[in-house]
Amino acid sequence: MNKKEVQQIALDWFDRQGWKPFPFQKQAWTTFLQGKNGLLNAPTGSGKTYALWVAIVLEYIKKHPEYRSKHQPGLKAVWITPLKALSVEIKQAAERFVNGIDVPLTVGIRTGDTDQKERAAQKRKMPDLLITTPESLHLLLASKGYDKTFKDVTAIVVDEWHELLGSKRGVQIELALSRLKTIAPKLRIWGISATIGNLEQAREVLLGPDTRAFHHSVLIKANINKRIKVKSIIPKKMETFPWRGHLGLHLLEEVIPIIKASKTTLLFTNTRSQCEIWFQKILEKHPELAGEIAMHHGSINKETRVWVEHAIRNEQLKAVVCTSSLDLGVDFAPVETIIQIGGPKGVARFLQRAGRSGHQPGKESVIYFLPTHAIELIEASALQKAVKDKIVEDRVPYLNSYDVLVQYLTTLAVSNGFFPEDIFPEIKQTFCFQSITEEQYQWVLNFITIGAQSLQSYDEYKKVEIDADGKFKINSRGVAMRHRLQIGTIVSDAILTVKYMKGGFLGSIEEWFVSKLKPGDVFTFAGRNLELFKVKNMQVLVRKSNKKTAKVPSWMGGRMSLSSEMSELLREEMYLANTSLGVSREIKALSHIFHKQKQESIVPDPSQFLIETFKTREGYHAIFYPFEGRFVHEALGSLLAYRISLLSPITFSIAFNDYGFELLSDQEIDMQQVLDNELFTTDYLSSDLRKSLNATEMARRKFRDIAVISGLVFTGYPNKLLKSKHLQSSSQLLFDVFKEYEPNNLLFQQAFIETFEHQLEEGRLQLAMERIAKQDILWKICEKPTPFSFPIITDRLREKLSSEKLADRIKKMTIQLEKS
Amino acid sequence: MKTVTISSYHQTFTLHPSGALYWHETDMLLIADVHLGKVSHFRKHGSAVPASVISHNFEKLDEVLAYFQPKVLCFMGDLFHSYLNTEWLLFTQWIEQVSSKIILIAGNHDIISPLQYKRVHVDVTDEWQIGSVLLTHIPEKREHAFNIAGHIHPGVRLQGLGRQWLSVPCFFNSPDQMILPAFGAFTGKYILTPTIHDNVYAITEREVIQVNRT
Repeated sequence: MNKKEVQQIALDWFDRQGWKPFPFQKQAWTTFLQGKNGLLNAPTGSGKTYALWVAIVLEYIKKHPEYRSKHQPGLKAVWITPLKALSVEIKQAAERFVNGIDVPLTVGIRTGDTDQKERAAQKRKMPDLLITTPESLHLLLASKGYDKTFKDVTAIVVDEWHELLGSKRGVQIELALSRLKTIAPKLRIWGISATIGNLEQAREVLLGPDTRAFHHSVLIKANINKRIKVKSIIPKKMETFPWRGHLGLHLLEEVIPIIKASKTTLLFTNTRSQCEIWFQKILEKHPELAGEIAMHHGSINKETRVWVEHAIRNEQLKAVVCTSSLDLGVDFAPVETIIQIGGPKGVARFLQRAGRSGHQPGKESVIYFLPTHAIELIEASALQKAVKDKIVEDRVPYLNSYDVLVQYLTTLAVSNGFFPEDIFPEIKQTFCFQSITEEQYQWVLNFITIGAQSLQSYDEYKKVEIDADGKFKINSRGVAMRHRLQIGTIVSDAILTVKYMKGGFLGSIEEWFVSKLKPGDVFTFAGRNLELFKVKNMQVLVRKSNKKTAKVPSWMGGRMSLSSEMSELLREEMYLANTSLGVSREIKALSHIFHKQKQESIVPDPSQFLIETFKTREGYHAIFYPFEGRFVHEALGSLLAYRISLLSPITFSIAFNDYGFELLSDQEIDMQQVLDNELFTTDYLSSDLRKSLNATEMARRKFRDIAVISGLVFTGYPNKLLKSKHLQSSSQLLFDVFKEYEPNNLLFQQAFIETFEHQLEEGRLQLAMERIAKQDILWKICEKPTPFSFPIITDRLREKLSSEKLADRIKKMTIQLEKS
Repeated sequence: MKTVTISSYHQTFTLHPSGALYWHETDMLLIADVHLGKVSHFRKHGSAVPASVISHNFEKLDEVLAYFQPKVLCFMGDLFHSYLNTEWLLFTQWIEQVSSKIILIAGNHDIISPLQYKRVHVDVTDEWQIGSVLLTHIPEKREHAFNIAGHIHPGVRLQGLGRQWLSVPCFFNSPDQMILPAFGAFTGKYILTPTIHDNVYAITEREVIQVNRT
C-alpha cells in the first residue's frame, strides 16, 4: 500500500465519525509516514492525539499489509504524558480509532498506579502502544533486557512537552531518548506542545541539537486562532480594598453573579489552601449553591477528582474551585467562564486557563481576573495587553543537571549494565549535556563507583561496580532495589494520608502541616472541618468537627515569578500612571493609591529608579523598585546585600516580590555610600552573585532536590517513608559537610548554578542592571511605609545575608523563653 | 579559644567551643555524640558523604585533648553510630596514642559489643554516679543529683532586630542538669526552648557565649 492509500483509510474513518481532519493533522500524517521527526504545536482539545496516533497506525498498516489477519507482536509506540490522570483519556481515543478501522492493535497503560499483576503481564507481552510517564519509562530502562523491549519501537510521542521542558523531567526525557535512538533504529520522535515563546528551541531540546534526528524534523503549527476576552473585576470601593494579601475574599460577592450567569465556571486559585478557603467561604455565604459547587486540587483523593471531572462534563456543576490541577487534560465542553483569582504570573498559564472555556467552535473564551490586593490591578492591566499582543514566555530548559545524569547512569547499571564509552556520545547529543567534558563525565563515573574522586583507604563505598570486562554494573540487590524506589525527579515533602477514624479516605496532606497540629486541633481539608485524632503509621486519623474556626493547611509549593515579558508590560503600565494618556480602567481605579504613594514618595517614570528608606520598630528598611519580577529581585537583592555587606559588617533580612525587594537590618544602611560606590555595576557580576549565594541559604534549599535525585539521600521504602524532617535535615547536613569538606563536588556546585542560572533566563539580570544604570536613582527618605512598600515589608518568607561574625550576632540576639 | 566556666553542686565545669565539657574536680573531659562510623555507614549504603569528615572528627578530638590534657576521657554515648565498619579500625589506632583513661557511657546507637571495647581498654557502663553527679547518655532527673547527659543534640533559636534569627548548637543547663551539644561533624541539632530556670551557652567555632534572654 502506498502513502495515499493508507491515508485514505484514516480519511474514511474521520468521515464515518462526521469529522473533517484539520490541515495540521494531515500534515502530521504525511510527514510521519515520510519518516520524519517533529514537534506539533497544538492546544488541548484540538485533536492532537489523532494527529499522531493515526500516523503511527498507518505506518504499521503500510509495513504490514496483512495487518487484519497477522498481528506482529511487540511494543510499537510509546506515548509519554506528564500526568497519569490523562492516560485513560488517551487510551480511549487510541482504541476508538483502531477498533473503528478494525486493526488488532492493543493499548496499555503503565504508570505509578499500574498494579504488580498488570506490570508482570506487560513484561511477558507488551501492548502495541504503551502510555506512560517519564518516571515509568525510566523504570523500564531499569529492568533487564530493556533493549529487547524497545528494539522495534517506531514512534515515541512526548505529550505536553511544554510542561516537561522547563523541568528536570524534561532532562529525564532527553536522556531516555538518547538511549532509545541507539537501540530502536526505526524510531521517530515527536513532541506535542502548547504555544510557548521558544517553540524552535523546544524542538531542538527534544531531538538533540545538531543531531540527525533534528535535521530530519519538522515543526507543525495547528494555528487554531481563538478569541479571548479578559475582564478585570474592579472593586467598587477602592478605598477599602487592601494593600496586601493573597486571598481575594473581599471580592467574593462580585463572583456570585458571574457564576450564576454562566453554565459552568472554573475558579482558578494559585495554591491549594486558597482553593480550600474560597470553596468554604462561597458555601458559607451562599448555601443555596450547595451541591452545585465542587473543589478540585492535587491533594484530594483520586475518586473525588474523577467524580468532579465527570460532573463538569455532565453539566451537573455550576462552579468548581480549582488549582493548576485542572490546567491540563481533557476538554470540559460546558465550561463557559473562567475566573483567575490572584496574579497568574505568566501569560502562557493565563492563556491556557482562558482556553479551558468556550470550546464550541466560534465561541470566544472569557476569563475574569480577580485581584487579591490593590497593586495587583497593575498586573491585570498588563495581562490585558499581553493577551492582545499575543506575548508568551519561554520555558527554559535545564543545562548540566548532574543529579539527573547520576540517576540515569545508575539506572543503566541496574538493568543491563553499560560501557561508559558507548554512553558518552549519546548523552553528549542531548541538549542538557551538550557541553559536558570528558573530565566531568569521568567525575560522574567516579562518583557512582567509588563515591569520591580518588580511592580512599578503609573505604566501603558501594554502589556501581566495574566488571572485569569494563562494564559498569550494580550487583547488590539492596542497592538496586533502593535505586528503583527512588527513580524520578519530583521531590516532595513526605505525604500522609488523611482518613476518618471509622475508615474512609479523604486525601493526602504534607507532613509538615500535620506536624504543627496537636490532637484535638481542627483544620479544613477537602472542604470539611476535621478534628485531628492522632497520627499513626503515615496516616492522619480525623473525625468530623462542628467547630467554625479551623486552620487551613497552607501547602508549600514554590512561589512563582513574573516572566520577563510580564515584568516589562507591568513596568509600562506603572509608568502610564504618571500620565493621563491611554490609562486602563484598572490603573484608573488605583488613582487613590498612586495619590498616597506620591504624598510620601513618588511613582517612578521610565527614567527613574526608586529607592525608599524608612524606620519602623522592626528596624531600618531600604526598598528598591526595579519592577523586574521576583526571580530577578531575588538575585539583585542578594547581590546588593552582599556588596553592601563588604563595606562594613552588617546583617540583612531580604524580602522580594514582583515589584521590588527590601533589605531590612538592625543598622541603618549608609545609602549615600551605596550610591557613591556604584554598587549596581555589572562588573564582577557573576563572581559577586556566586559569593552572595554562599552567604545566603538559597543554594542550600536547591541542594535538597539534588541530593534526593542523585541518590545521596534515600527517601525511604513505600509505607515506611522516612519522615521528611529526617530527609530535610540530612540533606541540610550534607550541604554543610560538602561546603566544608568537598566544595568542588559537581552536585554541590550544581546547587549554586541552578539557583540563579536556571530561573533567570540567560542574561536577564545583566539586562536589568544595564537598564538601571541608565536610570536616575531617586532616593526618598520616608516617614512611614508607602503603599508600594507595604506588600514587600509584610512578607514573611525571607532570605538572610550576613557579614558579621557569628559570635557578634549571637551577642546581639536574644532567646524567647517558654511561657510557664 | 574562649571558654566559659560555671559551677553547680559545688563542682566546677569548663565549657569548650568544641562541645566538650571539662570537670575540674575529677580532671575528666566529657564528650557526647561523636557518631563515629556514621559517614562510613552512609557510604556503605551508596550515599557518597565526603570521607574527609572522618579524619576531621579525630583531629577535633586530638585538639581538645591537647587543650585540657585530662586524666579521664568520658564519652557520653553514641560514640559509634553503627555496626563495626572500617572506622572502627581508625578508632582503635587513634586510641593507642591517647594517654587518658577512656570510659564510655553506652548510648542507643552504641551497638558494638563491650568485648570489642574491652580489647582496646575502654570501659563501658550504662551510667556513672560520682558523688552527686550522675553521668548518663539520655537526660534523666534523679533526686539530689546533677545529671550530665547527651543524646538530644541541643540547639536554640535566637531572634534579633530586623527580623533576624539564627539557630545554633548549645550547652543546655538547667538547675539539676547539663546537656552537652553533639561533638561529631556529621550530626544535626534539635531545637529546645528554655524556661526562666535554664541557662543556654551557644557554641561557635572559637567561642562559647551565654545567650541573652528576652
